Amino acid sequence: MKKKLSIIFLLIIFSIQIYNVIAIQRFPKPEFESGHTQPPTLTPDPRSQALDILDVFVLVAALSIVSWLIIKKRSRKGVFWMSIFAVLYFGFFREGCVCSVGSLQNVTLALFNPEYNIPLTVIAFFILPLVYTLFFGRTFCAGVCPLGAIQDIFALHPISIKSWLEKVLGVIPFIYLGLAVLYSATGTDFIVCRYDPFIGFFRFEGTFMMFVIGGLLLLIGVFISRPYCRFLCPYGALLNLISRFSKKHITITPAECINCRLCEDSCPFEAINKPVILKHKEEKSIASRRFVLLGIIIPLLILIGGFTGSQFHENLAIVNSKVRLAKELLNNTNYGETDQEAFEITAFNSSNQSKEDLYNEAASITHQFYIGGWILGGFIGLVFGLTLLSLSVFRYRKDYTPNKGTCLSCTRCVDYCPVKVNE
Amino acid sequence: MKNDKQLFKVNIQLWNGIAITSAIFSFIICFLIIANFLQINRLDPINTEVINNLVERLSQNPNDEALKIEIREIDLLARKAYFTNQWQIRTGGYLLLIGVIIFVVAMQMINSAKNIVPEIGEKDDNNLYLQKTARKWISIGGAGLVVIALFFAFLTHNKLGETFTNAVIAEKTLIEEDIQEEANIIQYQNENPFEEPPEAATEEKSETTETNSQESVNDVVKYSIADYPTAEMKANYPAFRGAGGNGVAYHKNIPVNWDGTSGENILWKSPVPLHGYNSPVIWGNKLFISGANATQKQVYCYDRNTGKLLWTANVDNIAGSPATAPAVTNDTGHSAPTVTTDGKKVFAIFSTGDIIALDMNGKRVWAKNLGVPQNHYGYSSSLYVYEDKLIVQYDHRTASKVMALSVNSGEVVWSTDRKGKISWASPIIVNTGNQVEILLVTDPFVASYNANTGKELWRFDCLYGEVGPSLAYANGIIFATNEYASLVALKLGEKPEKLWEQFDYLSDVPSPVATDKYLFLATSYGVVVCHDATTGEVFWEKEFDNGFYSSPILVEDKIYLLDIQGTMHIFKADKEYVSLGEPKLEEKAYSTPAFAIGRVYIRADKNLYCIGK
Repeated sequence: MKKKLSIIFLLIIFSIQIYNVIAIQRFPKPEFESGHTQPPTLTPDPRSQALDILDVFVLVAALSIVSWLIIKKRSRKGVFWMSIFAVLYFGFFREGCVCSVGSLQNVTLALFNPEYNIPLTVIAFFILPLVYTLFFGRTFCAGVCPLGAIQDIFALHPISIKSWLEKVLGVIPFIYLGLAVLYSATGTDFIVCRYDPFIGFFRFEGTFMMFVIGGLLLLIGVFISRPYCRFLCPYGALLNLISRFSKKHITITPAECINCRLCEDSCPFEAINKPVILKHKEEKSIASRRFVLLGIIIPLLILIGGFTGSQFHENLAIVNSKVRLAKELLNNTNYGETDQEAFEITAFNSSNQSKEDLYNEAASITHQFYIGGWILGGFIGLVFGLTLLSLSVFRYRKDYTPNKGTCLSCTRCVDYCPVKVNE
Repeated sequence: MKNDKQLFKVNIQLWNGIAITSAIFSFIICFLIIANFLQINRLDPINTEVINNLVERLSQNPNDEALKIEIREIDLLARKAYFTNQWQIRTGGYLLLIGVIIFVVAMQMINSAKNIVPEIGEKDDNNLYLQKTARKWISIGGAGLVVIALFFAFLTHNKLGETFTNAVIAEKTLIEEDIQEEANIIQYQNENPFEEPPEAATEEKSETTETNSQESVNDVVKYSIADYPTAEMKANYPAFRGAGGNGVAYHKNIPVNWDGTSGENILWKSPVPLHGYNSPVIWGNKLFISGANATQKQVYCYDRNTGKLLWTANVDNIAGSPATAPAVTNDTGHSAPTVTTDGKKVFAIFSTGDIIALDMNGKRVWAKNLGVPQNHYGYSSSLYVYEDKLIVQYDHRTASKVMALSVNSGEVVWSTDRKGKISWASPIIVNTGNQVEILLVTDPFVASYNANTGKELWRFDCLYGEVGPSLAYANGIIFATNEYASLVALKLGEKPEKLWEQFDYLSDVPSPVATDKYLFLATSYGVVVCHDATTGEVFWEKEFDNGFYSSPILVEDKIYLLDIQGTMHIFKADKEYVSLGEPKLEEKAYSTPAFAIGRVYIRADKNLYCIGK
């Protein structure tokens, strides 16, 4: 039976592959008389509309199956095989693009730039995981996201890290999220895609550094599970927020927790909330004083962050290709090249754009970054403030429960729970 | 049951073995890939030292077929090695992937076979302590982030937005000036409907890009061909190596003796504020030079009768000027090109590509940046004025060209791309009888351009290397030279032809000077040679104690040649060497002297001298 299923699965994969053959390129590659064949480009070929629809269908199916496996079946094995499928389909077959993680930039760009025509597939890839998360927690992270899945496979010998360090590093995805939004809102770059560490593996193509960073993350991931998901992923930051309000999140125990502590160290992502006993509650006066202080500090942090961001805006803006070009032209620095004219300058000279227009545009973009710097800095200040606030709140807990924000719904903890329900 | 356990044990051992083997395999492959990558990164198959040397040899002997075959074979080998390396990296990548997959599968198998053994320690996680520690590190992290961001912000703050806004204003001003200029022309045409408009560039374009070039009509200067160089130019000394840059001074009663130590015949001596290798130029009673260092650029005007510094013009606040000056060598500096003047304005250019026009009182008329010239020693081609055009030889690494800028606005009148390499030589502008031509030299050719349109008239491949000396011209013959290359005489015609070529004494800095009969060539190692201009025969050669950077100037029938120790060697421009004097200045000198009636002006290392009776 298993053999038959595997054959059917492989047949489906191969038949889907045929669609690539009929995918039409907008601009056919030139043919050389010498017989030279063009090397493959770093970006994947455009996909046919049929494949786009299929992708959305597969995404919905995968999300549904994995949510069912997590919430209903509580099957770690099932989630693991879904991870394998995600790596194969969303990773290698789809070459990792468009992924939900990167799609947040497309959505941001579409919001800030009405001229940008965002494909429906991209919207679906952005929205669907968020919707599923709102209902079932981060089931997308558990077994559908190829970036998470490939790391999960490598989580071979997880070690625990200090919970305070987990909290500190947990701020980084929000900073990355802010930067990604700023850069895509200004039409500068999709930095999440540019620095996607695993895309090189999925495409068998990429820069050396891409492979080095990806390889290092996987190596680190052997011991510190899913480092990208926990300490970098900007989409994970969004899912973290939404998952806190999820209606049916996975529970460690299917019934009442018996506080056996068997699951205590089972989570490789440090996402289990341990019981907090009353003796660890702070004195009321100290807690109240801290809350008052935080009430003053948080707006101050937003202001400090905003000011810092606004002062840092030139460093942020220089990433923009137009700002950089304008600066290079103005200073005649030719992108540091001495052997020949930089191709960016050649391209500009051969375009019909005047320098005046370029400088105008660069000034306008720089101003956008000044405003963006205020907002980004303020946002980061707010994140720090709210993190401090959350670390000041006393939450009485008597059971072991998953931390709804950081739990990736991998169901590893479930296998440790001795409580079983009679079907 | 026992058998099952034994079987399970064997499996674990097997997967352990697989895991270890695949891990070692993957590690070795990974190491090899990195080593291969580092190797491939160092390789540039189309720019290897061996091939470059062979190509250099081939350029000296272009008909060496064996050498050509050798180059092709080595080139093929280098390319093969490069692509083999690439193939190895790709194949290694696939092998690594397979190795890693096997390792992961093995590890997963081992893990899945292990029984879950939860560890229950006697930990008493104090939530308060954890929260406190986390709060502390969050605060430290946040503060650190702010400090680092502010540190970098203030370190790199350069008012980017303001700079762009100012650049927009500067660009707008230029455009408005253009519009105003066009309006002037239209007004002129309306007022003078039967007159031909000022000569426009209507000639065939070829590689030339022409822009609207008509000038503010009142200032338009045109010469008839027979006039060039004009009497006014001859009466003054308007550019490097005199009118047209051909190394001839048209002045009389030039002294042949002076002494820097005793002050004999030294009329005045004035210090020069900033250093520069450029030479003095003269118009009327004014003498102009320039000076610069990495942070300052200046143009100076002296009263040539008294030596008084009349004015200093700072060359700064030019849109597009680089924040930091390009790296130059000490023997070229930031101000090697000699300034030029048309009697109404003075023009200067610097290593940064900043070019400026000043009126005779030092007031800025226009200034612009031509783009930093990519030149590893420093830009050194001098400026010339032809009619209402400022001629700029802009041969640098990325986009060599010769261009004519409007003397009134600095706008490009014509610009012609050049295919050669960097040149440190200067143009010469000669009247060939039929037309006025701009003659330029670089590696690998001498080329002629129509002075009015910039159209390339001809090009003759004859030189190579880092060309420093400018051309000489006399009696329809052009002389070009460069060290390690040759000395070539080209007979002008529709298609120039090589008259003769010599290889014995070659110059790397001083430019030669020619009369109808003779060619005089000085070298930086101290030898001066006189050739027959038509045959190349060496009439005489003389070795002096010191070398020459200054170029010889023909004055009446005498040659004035200044050596690097400041001694002027004056000898007859004749087929026999007859010394007429060797007056000393006692200060090092690298520039070429300027002349006026009865006067010699020398820019020495630190001072400017006027010599006369």
